[in-house]
Amino acid sequence: MIRFKCNGKAVQLEAEPEARVIDVLRDGLGLTGTKEGCGRGECGACTILLDGKPVNSCLLLAGKIADREITTIEGIASEDGALHPIQEAFLDKGAVQCGFCTPGMVLSTKALLDENETPELEEIEEALSGNLCRCTGYGKIVEAVREAGQRLMHESDQQGDA
Amino acid sequence: MNVIGKRIRKVDGFELVTGRAKFAGDYKFPGMVYGAVKRAGVPAGRITSIDVAAARNTPGVIDVLTAKDIPGPNLIGVLPPYDQPLLAENEIRYAGESVVLIIAETAEIARSAASSVSVSIEPYDPILSVEDALAPDARKIHESGNITLSKKLIKGEVKSAFEKADVIVEGVYETSFQDHAYLEPETVCAVPGRRITLYASCQSPFHIRGHVAANLNMPASSVQVVQAVTGGSFGGKDDVAAEIGSLACIAAQRLNRPVMIAHERKESIIGSNLRHAARIDCKTGALNDGTIIAREITVMLDGGAYASESPFVTMKTLIHAAGPYNIENVEVESTAVFTNKTYCGAFRGFGVPQVTFASESQIDELADKLGMDRLEIRRINGLKAGDANATGQVYQQSVGLQETIEVIAAQPALPDRIDVARYLHGTGYACVAQGISNGAEGIDVTGASVQMSQDGSVLVGIGLTELGQGSRTVWAQIVAEVLGVDIENISVRLVDTDSVHDSGPTVASRSTTVGGMAVQKAANEVKKSLVSMAALMMQTDEENIELRDGYAILKMDDAARIPISSVATAAYWTGFPLMNLAFSKAPEANFDDDTHQGDIYIAYNYGTHRMDVQVDTTTGEVKVLNHFAAHDVGRVINPLGLEGQVEGASLIGFGMAHMERIKYADGIIQNANFADYALPSIKDRIPTKSIAVEDHNPTGPFGAKGAGEPPVAAAAAVFANAISDAVGFRFTRLPITREDILDAIQQRGNHG
Amino acid sequence: MRYLKPSSVSEAADVLESSRGMILAGGTDAYVYMAEGFCHPETLIDISSIDTLRGIYVATDDREEEVIRIGACTTIAEIAASQDLPTCLRQGARAVGSPQIRNLGTIGGNVCNASPCGDTLAPLLCLDARFVLRASGGTRVIACEDFFTGPKKTVLKPNEFLEFIELPASSCGKASAFRMIGNRKGQAISQANASVSLVMVDGRMSDLRVAVGSVAPVPLRLGKLEEFLTGKRVKEVSLAMFKEPILEGIRPIDDVRSSASYRQEVTVALVFDALAECASKDSGECEGAGA
Ligand SMILES: Cc1cc2nc3c(=O)[nH]c(=O)nc-3n(C[C@H](O)[C@H](O)[C@H](O)COP(=O)(O)OP(=O)(O)OC[C@H]3O[C@@H](n4cnc5c(N)ncnc54)[C@H](O)[C@@H]3O)c2cc1C
Ligand code: FES
Ligand code: FES
Repeated sequence: MIRFKCNGKAVQLEAEPEARVIDVLRDGLGLTGTKEGCGRGECGACTILLDGKPVNSCLLLAGKIADREITTIEGIASEDGALHPIQEAFLDKGAVQCGFCTPGMVLSTKALLDENETPELEEIEEALSGNLCRCTGYGKIVEAVREAGQRLMHESDQQGDA
Repeated sequence: MNVIGKRIRKVDGFELVTGRAKFAGDYKFPGMVYGAVKRAGVPAGRITSIDVAAARNTPGVIDVLTAKDIPGPNLIGVLPPYDQPLLAENEIRYAGESVVLIIAETAEIARSAASSVSVSIEPYDPILSVEDALAPDARKIHESGNITLSKKLIKGEVKSAFEKADVIVEGVYETSFQDHAYLEPETVCAVPGRRITLYASCQSPFHIRGHVAANLNMPASSVQVVQAVTGGSFGGKDDVAAEIGSLACIAAQRLNRPVMIAHERKESIIGSNLRHAARIDCKTGALNDGTIIAREITVMLDGGAYASESPFVTMKTLIHAAGPYNIENVEVESTAVFTNKTYCGAFRGFGVPQVTFASESQIDELADKLGMDRLEIRRINGLKAGDANATGQVYQQSVGLQETIEVIAAQPALPDRIDVARYLHGTGYACVAQGISNGAEGIDVTGASVQMSQDGSVLVGIGLTELGQGSRTVWAQIVAEVLGVDIENISVRLVDTDSVHDSGPTVASRSTTVGGMAVQKAANEVKKSLVSMAALMMQTDEENIELRDGYAILKMDDAARIPISSVATAAYWTGFPLMNLAFSKAPEANFDDDTHQGDIYIAYNYGTHRMDVQVDTTTGEVKVLNHFAAHDVGRVINPLGLEGQVEGASLIGFGMAHMERIKYADGIIQNANFADYALPSIKDRIPTKSIAVEDHNPTGPFGAKGAGEPPVAAAAAVFANAISDAVGFRFTRLPITREDILDAIQQRGNHG
Repeated sequence: MRYLKPSSVSEAADVLESSRGMILAGGTDAYVYMAEGFCHPETLIDISSIDTLRGIYVATDDREEEVIRIGACTTIAEIAASQDLPTCLRQGARAVGSPQIRNLGTIGGNVCNASPCGDTLAPLLCLDARFVLRASGGTRVIACEDFFTGPKKTVLKPNEFLEFIELPASSCGKASAFRMIGNRKGQAISQANASVSLVMVDGRMSDLRVAVGSVAPVPLRLGKLEEFLTGKRVKEVSLAMFKEPILEGIRPIDDVRSSASYRQEVTVALVFDALAECASKDSGECEGAGA
């Protein structure tokens, strides 16, 4: 029995501690937004946030997430279905083509922007260097990350004003 | 234009950014079991025995299948007679060949049971190069021999032309195998029944349906193939999807349980097709004024173990090898050859990147020999409207090559080169042309349906697939433009062989052009009903009605308008048809089979690229400072989508030119993972700036031409030219890695 | 398979002694080995959540000397971000994999995995690191240069694990730098890497250490080169001059990632760049742990 928090909710389920977290999420919880592109930590499609930090869920054993907090792509949009500014920016800037890398990209972006809403180019590249994309050529992804940072800053400014 | 030409975001994007999109691996059915195969592991031989006892006894294993368990012919391929078995029975032709299929309760059990299978193979000396395959006494890999296809293109008289040439350059150019490296490995899921359903990550569902049905020994109409959301394909998810799709369906029918087969990354590299490695012998003759008068080119493609798309790639290289130039005398011979390596097939660019690299390298060499500007020589020889290309085809319009050259010439130059001892700088140019539509490769028909509901919303169906390239958005835009409805009200169906028309393969940059034409035609028929209805309602003539902004509007009085939903409802009750199934058929290619002279493609996309690079002389590292990519796309339907296509394709071309190489040792791929097979990461990306040139194409919707492929070829070629310029050494083999660059710099240093 | 998660170092040592299981830290290497079928451990001993194995702080070692102590399970990301560690080690950590890998992977894992291409190994070697190894019977300390015995081979006994890595407190007073090159710019595995640490005295190089990785079965110190450079001004030396001492020292191989000859050439450039970076800085670049 493993207990952890997933997308803000307490979860408890039967899983072997040596099972991979990607399988626990996809098969155990039906959260299929987390993708498997290589199963070896080399592509980033399976990226989730563990206590706010991006990790490869294909390398992560379930025993390691006990009592910790996980965020998957399903936990990014708000409950009412409204997209997160990062998701909006990815669509507006054309950063999504086939979309298989997208969940991982969005999560790596979130981890970056949670710390810094106005990252330098090098910081964006570093933050996304573990997420491969074969479709976009990455240019539009960089634009989307910048745009998302701007929008998040606006949001927090507005909340500050309110 | 209200929608055409606008930056429209992906119509199917919401599901993708939220993780809700269902890719093939996301399907789950009660009782589902999993398949994995045992692969040969040796490149050539004959199976003497197969021992599956250990696998059968593994707890959790449900079924074990070998070749004799395949109800049908146990063959797949692209062109009959098909040559590739689902499971090898006797001959092993490449190391990734599937031999035994294990079905188990979990994928892990299936995999570990598969590894416990022992296949005894009497090995043959593997044939690992084109030269070995063509040796007079070579073992025959297939009964038909080791040549898949060999074709000739003959225009004019090269021999006498070379005698008239003032300068001649000759060279041999080589390119390596490249993996598609789509992020989603191939995956299928079969659900059994009296009619069987296959959910597949795939490119051409109808093609797969045919193979599944044949191998199941069932009529095609009993098989339903549904394209799952597909995580990239680039030409690659066709044969392999037919292979694992057929296997999954056969197992599902045997067991009466749903079966999923998902490749691991390693299998995706060794067990599905690659881009052909090529050797291109090229000779070009010109007059002193720069006019190219003759080209003679021999293309040899290493096609690996099975034919797959090799015949078509052969044709494509044949037609494109001479480049986008007006040359009176051309002779090309293209040949694809079997070897004991992973089979090669379609990959974005389809042979054009290989030949363009050779051709554009040689154009630079020619310019240098003539002492001529490298862009000028392309201007002098580049095709214009009214010129005859290599197949003698003449287009009277939509030949925008010269304009792409001028746009590139007008880009700001590199600031003064700071060649501090450590860094070298260089600039390269490359031109490309790539035919749109199936052309010489076959009949090109697409069917599309447009169906409006009474509320004015529209459902579009077409047999071509969305693979990330944004085709659904393009089709939705076309319908929105024709019917004057908001794009939010348009849905484009998943491709389901039960409900859309067979539209041939999603290849050859044909989705926008040929597919778009069919969609436009169907939308126009629905428009007729709406306009007739609105004219009746407004008591006016049809020509006074315009559909725009969700209304039928009286042209002379903007305020007189009826919501399209009301018009649609009225049309429905009046009995005017609100659905249409239309076909678009590209004019048939018409050419001589011996010389390949004639009309082949409905249009070409033309492009010119420039790249500026900086090379570190101590490590061979390259920094791309600028990359300008100008393409004549006829008409831009969606700038956002177009830029994405040009940027993405360019990086694949750059990967081919600089980073990616499948490494073989004794017929076994050594780098079948993403750590050692280096596709570009975000830090390796290039600063591609896409520039659209619009030279109206009469054969495409709103004048558009496809653009998904040509940047691959141009980007690969332009990198080679830029690096050669920087280093002062002509590189003739792709990829040009850091190691190659450092080698060249040192050799140059040593010799002077 | 048994999966154990001891809560203290002594418990971990005991379980290891009794089970002879496999230590699991971040698992980024260990998982891949299991998935590829290279090993089939019966027991996994996950030490990553033992508090005392994490963190970077000042301590006194077995010789009563002040050291910077790094817990074996400190993540690579934490090393990369620490202000309290010498530059070369932070740069080496930054070169490991991707952010995702660095958030899971640990420095102890990088060391004990003992891959010739491990990116923290050359930095640790050039910083005179010492490793504190723990068994149920007690601890022993071993110098970094004696730890590695071959590719993926170390002196660790089956009942031992790495508890701490210790750096001389003085290493923070040195200038240091790390350079690597891989088959791509992002998420690359080293084809070759180099780490340099030194102190500039009156513009001359002293107390010099040069270590290289991925060019021999184990990370190597380049003693000849150190000798050659000691006492010289950086301006006096050129790349051509130290090609020979470097090539003499290293033993690169051809493999799927690179040819031996490229490794040779590039190592020279990497050492040169690392040296140049060191010389361009004042010594004394980090604050020292816990300061
Ligand atoms: C995609 C990918 C990219 C990578 N890129 C790089 C790279 O660029 N550079 C690089 O250097 N590495 C790289 N690595 C390797 C790996 O991430 C690092 O070596 C990492 O530091 C290992 O740490 P870990 O905690 O995950 O080790 P684990 O996987 O937990 O352990 C590795 C080995 O060390 C043993 N071990 C771990 N900790 C201890 C201990 N305290 N005492 C005794 N034995 C122990 C384990 O038993 C195991 O044999 C990469 C790995 C992946 C999957
Ligand atoms: S699936 Fe985890 S990194 Fe590729
Ligand atoms: S959008 Fe297809 S891999 Fe990134």
